[in-house]
Amino acid sequence: MPVVKAVPCPVCGSLCDDIELTIENGKIVKVKNGCAMCESKFLSHNSEHRILKPLIKRNGKLIEASFEEAAKKAAEILADANYPILYGWSSTNCEATRVGLELAEEIGGVIDNTAVICHGPSILSVQQVGIPSCTLGQIRHRADLVIYWGSNPWSSHPRHIERYTTFSEGRFQRSTWKRYLLKVKASIVRKKIESALRRVFFKKKPSTPRIGGLPPSMLREGRKLVVVDVRKTKSAEIADYFIQVEPCKDYELLQALRALIRDEEIDVDKVAGVPVENLEEVADLMIKCNFGILFFGVGLTMSEGKMRNIDAALSLVRDLNTRTKFAIMPMRGHFNVTGANTVFTWQTGYPYAVDFSLGYPRYNPGETSIMDILLNKESDATLVVASDPAANFPQKAVEHLVKNPLIVIDPHMNVTAQMADVIFPSAFVGIEESGTAYRMDHVPLPLKKVVNPPRDVLSDEEILRKILSEVRKLKEKKLVEVA
Amino acid sequence: MELLIRNGFVYDPINSINGEKMDIAIRDGKFVQKVNEFSARKIDASGMIVMPGGVDIHCHIAGSEVNTGRLLRPEDHFKDFERKTLKTRSGVGRSIPSTFTTGYRYARMGYTTIMNPSMAPLEAKHTHEELNDTPMVDKATYPLLGDWWFVLEYLKDGAIEECARYVAWMMTTTKGYAIKIVNPGGLEAWGSGRNVSCIDDQVPYFGITPREILRGLCKVNKLLNLPHTIHVHTNNLGKPGNYLTALDTMKCVEDLSSEGKPAIHITHCQFCAFKGSNWRSLTSGAEEIAKYVNNHSHVTLDMGQVIFTDTTTMTADGPFQYTLYELTGNKWVNHDVETETSSGIVPFRYRRKSYVNAIQWSIGLELALLIEDPWKIFMTTDHPNGGPFVYYPKIIAWLMSRKAREATVQKINQRARSRSLLPSIDRELSFYEIAIMTRAGQAKALGLVNKGHLSVGADADVAIYNINPETTDPSTKYRTIRKTFRNAAYTIKNGKIAAKNGEILEHVKGATMWLDVQVSDPIKVTEGMKRRFREYWTVEYENYPVTENYLEISHPIAVKADV
Amino acid sequence: MISLHPQKEFVFPIIAEGINPDVFQDKNRGEIEELEIWEGNKQKKLGELFKVKETGTEPQQEDIAIVIYGDLSRVRRIGAWMKGGEITINGNVGMHLGEEMEGGKITVHGSVGGWAGSMMKGGIIEIHGNASHYLGAAYRGSSQGMNGGRIIVHGNVGYEAGAYMRKGLMKIYGSVGQFAGFRMHNGTIYIQKDCEGRVGACMKNGKIVVAGFLESVLPTFTIESIRKKVKIGEDDVAEGPFYRFLGDLTENGNGKLYVLKEENPHLSTYERLL
Ligand code: SF4
Ligand SMILES: [Zn+2]
Repeated sequence: MPVVKAVPCPVCGSLCDDIELTIENGKIVKVKNGCAMCESKFLSHNSEHRILKPLIKRNGKLIEASFEEAAKKAAEILADANYPILYGWSSTNCEATRVGLELAEEIGGVIDNTAVICHGPSILSVQQVGIPSCTLGQIRHRADLVIYWGSNPWSSHPRHIERYTTFSEGRFQRSTWKRYLLKVKASIVRKKIESALRRVFFKKKPSTPRIGGLPPSMLREGRKLVVVDVRKTKSAEIADYFIQVEPCKDYELLQALRALIRDEEIDVDKVAGVPVENLEEVADLMIKCNFGILFFGVGLTMSEGKMRNIDAALSLVRDLNTRTKFAIMPMRGHFNVTGANTVFTWQTGYPYAVDFSLGYPRYNPGETSIMDILLNKESDATLVVASDPAANFPQKAVEHLVKNPLIVIDPHMNVTAQMADVIFPSAFVGIEESGTAYRMDHVPLPLKKVVNPPRDVLSDEEILRKILSEVRKLKEKKLVEVA
Repeated sequence: MELLIRNGFVYDPINSINGEKMDIAIRDGKFVQKVNEFSARKIDASGMIVMPGGVDIHCHIAGSEVNTGRLLRPEDHFKDFERKTLKTRSGVGRSIPSTFTTGYRYARMGYTTIMNPSMAPLEAKHTHEELNDTPMVDKATYPLLGDWWFVLEYLKDGAIEECARYVAWMMTTTKGYAIKIVNPGGLEAWGSGRNVSCIDDQVPYFGITPREILRGLCKVNKLLNLPHTIHVHTNNLGKPGNYLTALDTMKCVEDLSSEGKPAIHITHCQFCAFKGSNWRSLTSGAEEIAKYVNNHSHVTLDMGQVIFTDTTTMTADGPFQYTLYELTGNKWVNHDVETETSSGIVPFRYRRKSYVNAIQWSIGLELALLIEDPWKIFMTTDHPNGGPFVYYPKIIAWLMSRKAREATVQKINQRARSRSLLPSIDRELSFYEIAIMTRAGQAKALGLVNKGHLSVGADADVAIYNINPETTDPSTKYRTIRKTFRNAAYTIKNGKIAAKNGEILEHVKGATMWLDVQVSDPIKVTEGMKRRFREYWTVEYENYPVTENYLEISHPIAVKADV
Repeated sequence: MISLHPQKEFVFPIIAEGINPDVFQDKNRGEIEELEIWEGNKQKKLGELFKVKETGTEPQQEDIAIVIYGDLSRVRRIGAWMKGGEITINGNVGMHLGEEMEGGKITVHGSVGGWAGSMMKGGIIEIHGNASHYLGAAYRGSSQGMNGGRIIVHGNVGYEAGAYMRKGLMKIYGSVGQFAGFRMHNGTIYIQKDCEGRVGACMKNGKIVVAGFLESVLPTFTIESIRKKVKIGEDDVAEGPFYRFLGDLTENGNGKLYVLKEENPHLSTYERLL
């Protein structure tokens, strides 16, 4: 049986590229090295929700159509539109995004990617403050303090810790996996003792929770893992230290830390539910580490304060660099959302929410971003590529989205597709189609085509190219008519 | 297709043609002896200057760091945009234009070949994807190799040949063109927040000095017979007193040059020609550097001229960028790349009234004017570090006209004015010398055999400027010079008229040139190598190379190595 | 005087930089109707979207006055870069009203969209309704906010009012959202009613006065004193007493944040530090 090695996993922003797939009769039958998310994607991408033929809505019903017909129909919708939106792009390859940008420019539309609903605020703050960062290997080799803030990698990026951070083996920093195992063992033993004590003494909680002060594990040599979150997540459980922040108070906590690392005094005793003494210890820990890294997730970007939370986090890490070496990185979700931002930026100068309606790129999230346009009811057509906005946008936005002509390019019959007027089935990028994707730290990796797509199913790139050429034909025709 | 450029004043320094009136014939993208006078398309260039297309040896136009610079600065480009036309794509400009706009703007100035000087090997695919989207010019890019762990380790062990084989592998793997060295040793140190202080300082953990890295890679460069020399951004860049480091750097490879051929290129030399012990006592070290360069033949330089404007600085020199952040308090990006290099970005405004900036401005021009041989120093701004490339015409005017320099000197910081050497320099460059510094010399230093000249068989890249050298005195008419060089009358790329008087007539795609370095005993991909790979990087060996399909128009240049 | 009336109800964003007294100067009605304006991705003539009327018979005086009637909530960039003259809008108006304006006056009898008076350098904007987010703020990536002039809002304002402000006066008679005066360098912001919080975050200098309720002061501000009254702009005084905080410590800031004592008894705990 053929085994394909070094396959990048097209699921999350960790973009692990060491997956081994066993192929049998043109099907993936075994996945090695991947996490559960990865396995399920590779093994079940060919589920029953797969679309196999282009569909066009006629009299309220989706009817099978030829690719030719569907492309013509899509082109008509887009070429006529006054303010169309092209949305998605984070779960496809950079090649498709390149064509998407050309199409957006051709039709004078707005093009936006899913960053707008996850790390858009992070980008806006990077544009104000900058960002001291690095590739993930730097962290593996050097970081002795790893902080996850508003992010639960254990569930959202399952192999992140093992491949790149605390449990990975670097040149100058060792893995703390063993320490973790000991800790787990110890906690099992402790739990056993506790339950024994409970049985003997009929007490509910024999050990009182410790207040303040760092746990002994934080005083040890070697890399340390700190988690900051509003609730005790699985990642928090494996951490050496967990800081529970009051919901919506991240900004205050970050700012307080910023003041503390500048050796400023604080008037209040508690910030965001955390005693200032504890914060002082954390600040000290940050200053004293040799190489620190702060990863932040949507828990920080999408909680109250949004972009300004990130402003504070970026500023904190920047300020820390006067005392030691410190880096910061957003935990990007989709496997190629970074790539979408990257291609947008090199072609237009802007990473998302790019408006071509005046014939050149303009950018102002809050004005030219899809959510704002839909909520203001300004668009009159939408093309969605590899995304499912109808499933995760607010009701009001979805209402406007489906009120106007909607074109969907997706391998699956997702919620958005069910409401669409034209649907193109497409190949799974990273499984049935190659191309480039960018890992969360901007490292480009080549996606692999390991099996063939179903018959007649094309790639996003090919479909978009066809639509683009149909749009151009229509425009030429119009020019001739005018002349 | 045939094209005939008639009656222009031709400046082709590689062929020692200095303003002669002659015709240039082109067929199928190459210069030819002659074409059919009747059927060929004709360009009447009478009263105009004809030069080979411009060559830029050092400009940051593509890749991870450039693109992050773009992302960082919406406020820099939102007022400078280009609309889509029937022929061209839209984009934005100012200090870091989007890719299409970069190509168009170079083409308007008559440039046809540009070199992207800094590429982290791990992110090489990114650079090439952007180069694919940079039209109108042929291009190449230099991988950063001075702090690569493999290099540090092999050189530490004195294993020059082994090192050479790995560098050859890397050049081909990343589709690179030259060995780029930035703050050797300092970038690895920066990975843990440190730096090196001189060329004999030890790199933490690796027990090697910048001198050893420079000499080692210089030898490697020679063993591999690479067309360009090592391309060096010195240690201590941007620090007062660093002209000594620059001199040390040049001296340390003095004995490695053979037959008087260049062995090292010191890039954006202005940034490492600072004399003085602090910012207040800063003066120009251009005289000392020029003196050394005038007496030695193993060095070429480029200016890194400063322009008084708002721009974005970006280099692989992480510690330098951090210092710049501390100086300005502006937004700051740092991006360290595992096992290889680092980089940083800081927006910066060069002010006429700032003493330091005015001195920097002066240094760049002093270098260009005090170094006697124009084949040794080339015109750059280290775009966008010293200023955006669109300001090249301004620099040409300063170089050609004492008056133009005086006009600016009048407006700069007073203390800097009194210390500037410029008022004492009378030299005014000729069109011939400008042609050397902006194309012929650069092409020669790069070893680009088909660029920078108009010989039969060479690539038909031509710039025609609407100025009559017989009737225009650049010395007094410096404004005309500026205007003329801003928009070439014609830019011809691969024998096609790509731009005319500032209008892009055709969206021509350029090729990406790279070195196919052939060694007799290439690196073998053993399981051991793969394991080492996995230990050093976080990507698999198989996913590391830039395969040729990444290059839209691939132009490999075969190089036979001596190992 | 020139008056403009929308010809229809607008659906798509209208980019109307041309509606600007400087542009109308020396133009007759016909020429004004020919001005470029964008509706979605289509370039139109101003006359196609607006009925243009000349009222008053006097030959164009020095300062042109433009009066607009109707719902302009999708019309953006009116009065951007204007240097003089006057615009009066009777109705709601869209984003970027008076962006980067340098002089003249804009009066709105209605509410305005985001980025009104963003990066303005001079002149006056008076809004009788509400204003949305980023009032007088900077463009993305820029740290050059409002740099002169005055903005007066009689209603409520969204978040980040006066972000990156450098100079000038902002008077808000209603309440404001979060992050008012974010990273401001100088200038004055007066808020008569409630303030949602995080006011003055990262401010370096300047003055913010909150005369309504403020739930909490950022931990990176320290109490300095209690003041009887505080000066607002050149000719106005707000009566206190006010708690006076200094901050933001994170930026080594010397910004002054005044919070009215009477409305904020929960801040009295700070008094023990005085
Ligand atoms: S962590 Fe993410 S990229 Fe890695 S295998 Fe799991 S889903 Fe795939
Ligand atoms: Zn450079």
